[in-house]
Parts: sequence; structure tokens; C-alpha cells
Amino acid sequence: MAGLPEPLQDLVDAFSRLPGIGPKTASRLAFYLLNSPDEVSHGLSSALEGLKAGITLCPECFNITLAGRERCEICSSSQRDTASLCVVEKPLDVLVLEKTGAFTGRYHVLHGVLSPIEGIGPNDLRIRELLDRVRNGDIHEVILATNPSMEGDATAQYLQKQLAGSGARVTRLARGLPVGGELEYADQNTLLRALAGRQEL
Amino acid sequence: MRLTRLSLTNYRAFAQVEVVLPRGVVVLVGDNAQGKTSLLESVFFLAAFTSFQTSQDNQVVNFTARGDDIPVTRIVAEYERAEKQHKLEIRLILQGGSAEYGTGRLRKEILLDGIKKNAAAAVGHFNAVVFIPQMSRYIDNGPEERRRYLNLTLAQIVPGYADDLTRYTRGLIRRNALLKQLQEQGGDAGMLDYWDELLADCGSRLISARDAAVREITALASPVHFTLTGMEENFSMQYLPALTQVEADLPGDINELHASYLARLRGNHRVDIARGTTSIGPHRDDLRFVVNGNNLADFGSRGQVRTALQSLKLGELQWMKERTGEMPVMLLDETLAELDEHRRAGLLESLAECEQVLLTTTDLDLFTPDFLRSGQIWQVRAGEIEISK
Ligand SMILES: Nc1ncnc2c1ncn2[C@@H]1O[C@H](COP(=O)(O)OP(=O)(O)OP(=O)(O)O)[C@@H](O)[C@H]1O
Ligand SMILES: [Mg+2]
Ligand SMILES: [Zn+2]
Repeated sequence: MAGLPEPLQDLVDAFSRLPGIGPKTASRLAFYLLNSPDEVSHGLSSALEGLKAGITLCPECFNITLAGRERCEICSSSQRDTASLCVVEKPLDVLVLEKTGAFTGRYHVLHGVLSPIEGIGPNDLRIRELLDRVRNGDIHEVILATNPSMEGDATAQYLQKQLAGSGARVTRLARGLPVGGELEYADQNTLLRALAGRQEL
Repeated sequence: MRLTRLSLTNYRAFAQVEVVLPRGVVVLVGDNAQGKTSLLESVFFLAAFTSFQTSQDNQVVNFTARGDDIPVTRIVAEYERAEKQHKLEIRLILQGGSAEYGTGRLRKEILLDGIKKNAAAAVGHFNAVVFIPQMSRYIDNGPEERRRYLNLTLAQIVPGYADDLTRYTRGLIRRNALLKQLQEQGGDAGMLDYWDELLADCGSRLISARDAAVREITALASPVHFTLTGMEENFSMQYLPALTQVEADLPGDINELHASYLARLRGNHRVDIARGTTSIGPHRDDLRFVVNGNNLADFGSRGQVRTALQSLKLGELQWMKERTGEMPVMLLDETLAELDEHRRAGLLESLAECEQVLLTTTDLDLFTPDFLRSGQIWQVRAGEIEISK
């Protein structure tokens, strides 16, 4: 069977390695680029090249930031409350929380969760750095905002134990029913958690 | 409860069939390998979201449909429960399978009254009891078979059971992975705390549900068995929880059970790390079937085993009725042929209480003319169904 010419096949393969992209989508994207004006593929290729070179991790919170900056925008801002820290799994979570505008403290990005299946332990995450930050800084509250998955919960519980005795108040994001959702459609687990985390009106 | 309409698409040998079902008895008759068992299997799928013949559900996808771009098997049913009509649809989508039988991953989509649900949330709305010759493997085979029986029965009836079982299983996989990691690389055993709590939490509910169900089903099955055997045999089913070995040692109170279970998990850290696996819990439970004090697995004759299973199934039927207020749909595959006349009569008599019974046979002569007159007879031939009376 005759295959695709190598340069095209290479691109298809590269796309297929991306999350959420199957072989069909990968070929469609590759052919699209082949048939579009040169600017499109040049634009893409320079964006890709700039990506790694232009981005680095903030040495304080480990969120992604522009290369060459000493600390990220949030860490260097004088407007942020330095006494509270929100711990998240990944940089994208910071973005989501920032959009709400409701949190005025600073972040700490773990870059993952404790995952027995993937063999990810405390040393594979930015946990020691977190403990150092809490111990050495004047932190009053640590909000654990890992995902409400089994791994996210396990990580939060582990961190809570590690942080006990640090003097900081440790809290966990409340979980419950999605806003606008209907009780009937919620699965049992969500309902149980919402019930357990109910609040006085 | 009863099915009123059933439509199958690409289900085993059925490319496409649609039938309207009556109240009472439906006798599926046909030669071997025509699709009788497959039809019962599809009805059970609506109750358990898995097959009673195989744990590899991808096998039900029709051979020819496997060649499609996206092979989809569909079971769509309308059923009546407490005088209300409901609709349940199961889509089984084969992903990454080749034309070969039994390959590929099966994605299940479940719609209950038009709303997408996960299996744990959809289970329990439609109930069925299945009585098939292969059930002797409950007794002959290893404990996994008996746990599977308990799970498929309890998930249908006990609220929250399916959910607890899913969480327990996922938690167990993770705890075991962590144990291996600690065994190979060392590290902080404190990471086990979360998984201990999760397993004790879901696991104690599983244990207590199993304990209660086994006692209740036994209480209903043993009078049936006594009568069937001309008052000669006492039948019981015994629950053997891995936690305490004997049922009698289980704390009666769920909070106490939870506390002692959690303490055991914590106390086992060293042993479990050394073994790389979790040594106690519902994943190690077992059942024992006992007649006149003897374990059927060791001392039961074939006939005794068959009779015990018949009593068990009739007990199960009553149990579901008592717990839910609704009679489940009864599915019998070929079982009548194996029974002597007395037991067959006993069975047919109990079936009269059911709202709906589907049974298969290769031979209509096994039934009395009266019985046949009371129901509908369907001819099953090469994946087609013809209502002959
Ligand atoms: N995925 C599938 N696609 C197509 N045909 C299948 C599939 N799985 C099983 N079959 C066929 O269906 C037939 C078996 O159906 P089934 O077990 O329902 O028969 P039956 O009528 O109960 O027979 P018996 O009287 O021997 O028990 C066999 O011919 C088998 O090859
Ligand atoms: Mg059969
Ligand atoms: Zn920063």
C-alpha cells in the first residue's frame, strides 16, 4: 500500500500525538495546512517555536510566565494578598480561577497530583516547595483547589496532613451541585457531597 | 414490572428486530444456535448493563456490524413499572475493534427516559432475575463467580450499591498500585491513609448490604427448597466476609463495622506493602451454599445443585419483590429440561406469580398444553422472531 509522502506523514504523526486528536483529525489538519497559503503554516511554525523559548516557570509559584521575568505577574503584583495561597494542579486552573476575579491571594501550581497508577509520588510534584513557602512566608490560609477526583482528593488530604502544624488555616474548595443543574440529573456522589458540604442560610 | 416493547439492533445474531411483549409467559422456541439465549441476554442487559454469559461485553456486537465505521449495538426497551411507562436505551459503541470477535473497547451509553445516565445511576430501574443452566458455576467455580452473582443481584436492588462498588473497585486499584510503589521505591506510607478511608467507607456499606441480602434471600429460599425436596432438605446460603471470615463475627452496627475495618486496613500496612496488594475487603468475600449442613460444592449431587439453584432463584425473585414492591421480569434459559417432573411443576407454579416470564426451549413438549395456552409462543430462527401464537 502506498503511504503518504514522508513530510506529510511526519506532520500527521505529530498531530496524532496530541491529546484529543485521532488519526482522522490529524490527517485532516495536515491536509488543511498543505492546501492553505504559506502564511498559515509559517504562522503556526513560528508560534510553536516561540512557545518553548518564550515560556518559563515562575520560581515562586511555578505557574507559567514569560521567559526573562524574575517572577510571574501575580507573584510580583503588590495588589495581591500575600497571606493566602491557593494550591492548584495545573497552570490552566490558575487561569480559570483568575477569570472569576474572586481570589485575591497568590497561587501554587503542583504540576500534577499524587497518582498511584501513574506512579507519581510527592517528589514528582512541587510539594516540597509548597511546604517551604508556607513555612517561611507569612501565610495564614492555604486553599486546596485540586480537582474533586479521587487523586485530587487524595492529594489534598496528603497536603493537609503535611501542612498541619504550619500555623496556616487549611481549607478545601467546597464541592456540590453545578449551578443551574437540576437535582434529578445530579449523580449520587455529587448529591452526597453537596449534602455533606451544606451550609447554613 | 414488565417489558412492553423491545428493539435490538446489531445485537449478536439479531441485525434488527422489534417485538411487542405481552403480560405473562412468552415461550421462545427454536433449534440450537438460533438466538434464544441471546434474546434473554439482551433483556438482562437492561437490568445489569452487562452480559450474563460473558464478562467481555464487546462480544455481543453483531459480527457483520463489526465491519462498520463505528459499530453500534442498540437495545431499546419500553417497560411498565408501578403503572408508569418508561424507556430505557443502551448503546454499545465499539471503539478500536477489528472485525475479529471480541476485540475493541466498548463504550456504553445509557438513556433512561431520554436522559443520559451512568450505569451506577441507571441500574435498579428495570429488574430481572435470570435462571440459566450455567449457574452451576456459582457453585463449581471460584469465588469471583459468586461475587459477580452477588454484585449483579444487589446492584439492581440496593440503592447506592453500584456506586459504592464502582468507587471501591477504583479505590482498590489505586491502593494496590500505591502498595507496589511503596514496596519497590519506599516512601511515605501516610499516602495510604486516604485510600484506607475510601475503601473502609464504601467497603463497609458493601459488606453490610451483602450480609443483609444473603440472610434475607436465604430466609425466602429455604422454605421453597424444603417444599421442593419433600421436606427432606434444609438449604442455606452463607456469607463469608473476608474481613472476619465468619458472618457471625461482623459488627452489627455499620459504624462499628467501619471502624474495625479501617483499623484492620491500617494495621495491615506492613503486610500489604510486602505483598503489594490489599489483603482484606469485599474483593475477597465468598459465599457458601449448604444443604443439610453439607457444603454443596463438595458434597452436592448434580440434582441437588440444580434444585438448590432453583430455590435460590425463586428466593431471589421474592426478595426483589419485597425490597422494591415490584416483581422483576423472570428469564429462564433451558432450565426446565433439566428438572424432574415434580420440580418442573413447582417452578411453573411459582412462575404464575410473575408479571412476565421469558423462557426458552428447543422442545415444546416439556410444557403442558394448559401452560402453553396461557402464554405466547415465539419462533426464533436465525436472528428473526416470528410470533406463532
Ligand atoms: N456477536 C455475534 N454476532 C453474530 N452472531 C452471533 C454473535 N454472537 C453469537 N452469535 C451467534 O448466535 C448464535 C447463538 O445464539 P444463542 O446462544 O442465542 O442460540 P440459542 O438459540 O440459545 O441456541 P441453543 O438452543 O443452542 O442454546 C450462534 O449461532 C452464534 O454464532
Ligand atoms: Mg441457548
Ligand atoms: Zn508566580
